Amino acid sequence: MVAQGIPEIGAYIAFLFVSTVALVIVLRLFITPKDPRPTPEKKKPFESGQIAAGPGRTRFIIQYYPYLLMFVVYDVVAMFLFAWGLNLRALGASGSVPVLVFIVVLLIPLGYALHLANHRENW
Amino acid sequence: MITSPLFLQIVLFPGLTSIAIIGALLGWLERKVTARVQLRIGPLYASPAGGILQMFADLIKLAFKELIVPENSDAFFFIMAPTTGLVLGAALVGLIPFAPGLQIANIEVGLPAFLAIITLSPTLILLAGWSANSKFPFIGGLRALFQQTAYEIPLWLSALGVIMMAGTMNLAQIVAAQSTGWFIIPQALGALIFLVTSVAEMERLPFDLPEAESEIMMGWQAEYPGVLFLAAQGPGFVKLYAFSALFTTIFLGGFLGPSFLPPLFWMLSKTLIVIVLIMLLRSTFPRVRLDQLLRAGWTTLLTLAIINIGITYILVVGLPTL
Repeated sequence: MVAQGIPEIGAYIAFLFVSTVALVIVLRLFITPKDPRPTPEKKKPFESGQIAAGPGRTRFIIQYYPYLLMFVVYDVVAMFLFAWGLNLRALGASGSVPVLVFIVVLLIPLGYALHLANHRENW
Repeated sequence: MITSPLFLQIVLFPGLTSIAIIGALLGWLERKVTARVQLRIGPLYASPAGGILQMFADLIKLAFKELIVPENSDAFFFIMAPTTGLVLGAALVGLIPFAPGLQIANIEVGLPAFLAIITLSPTLILLAGWSANSKFPFIGGLRALFQQTAYEIPLWLSALGVIMMAGTMNLAQIVAAQSTGWFIIPQALGALIFLVTSVAEMERLPFDLPEAESEIMMGWQAEYPGVLFLAAQGPGFVKLYAFSALFTTIFLGGFLGPSFLPPLFWMLSKTLIVIVLIMLLRSTFPRVRLDQLLRAGWTTLLTLAIINIGITYILVVGLPTL
């Protein structure tokens, strides 16, 4: 019934197996034995075998900033289109005119923003 | 309660047990497919049937490794981020209709809900990278965030084409709307965009910038030891399974097929074909650069997605009988 072709007892055995494995993993996370051989290098951040230089959370340069700004605006715009697309058959051609105008009006600044964002000096 | 259909679906199929087993089997399949492409053999010894138990052997190995949490790291978020990723992957599978009635959560906004849940995943990656207090993980987390801005809008807009055709966001009703013809034919462009952007969403090659093992040493996963590494790798395979099932559902007619075999067979076999296709992409294409991905996502993919919406508008409004 649940999985056609697989007898239910087999499915239960599989469930028991997987849940046992999951339980072992969760217990393994919480029951951690005391470190038998602590060394100062063991807990250092990994930097390809070199000794880690400087703090791990330094200030990184956020590149590609124009793309991030565009994302903030146009992700929301894309959401607005879902309400229109869902009711497209009911709205028909006449009801879609405001949405099409909305798309065209927003595409023009998108093109200009892309023109700016694709220039390396603005990254 | 133990024998109620919903409980059985949650714990057995398509729920938790099958997700864990299928995720492990996909790990084996990926290694086998990649090996076949590269003229190698791949996992061989872990069972008589071509090493099919390799991932379970790896699981046992990783479970016994020492858990090392790096110094000065935020231990709570360091452990929380990958395990929450596993829960997210399982939540995605719960939205997919595998057969008539075989669906854990049949909600009205199934398709946007799927894409909204997956939106959390780059945030978790950034959290994992930040909490590790190490440079490579942090760079990987930032890359995940940039990558999201590149693929997110084309992904949603390519899904919008399907919603315009079907007139509903319910995944089971989208499958029912394809009884006259699969959406991959009128939505060919949308399906292509959806495939490319979902590969970018899954952070698989050629878009595996947050991991990028040859540049930034597995990126955000670099500091994860033992079981936590497994928990960090696992969501990738669960997401592969969930996205292939979603692609099948919204473009390839889901569980529809000739009636001499059960609907579940058609659903799973189509999903397997999509999975192998995505695995072949991994062994075929080189990794893109971050600025190439951003530029392609914002110019090529977004333009194609808007053209696809225009085509769909003409199809739906101009030819209402379709």
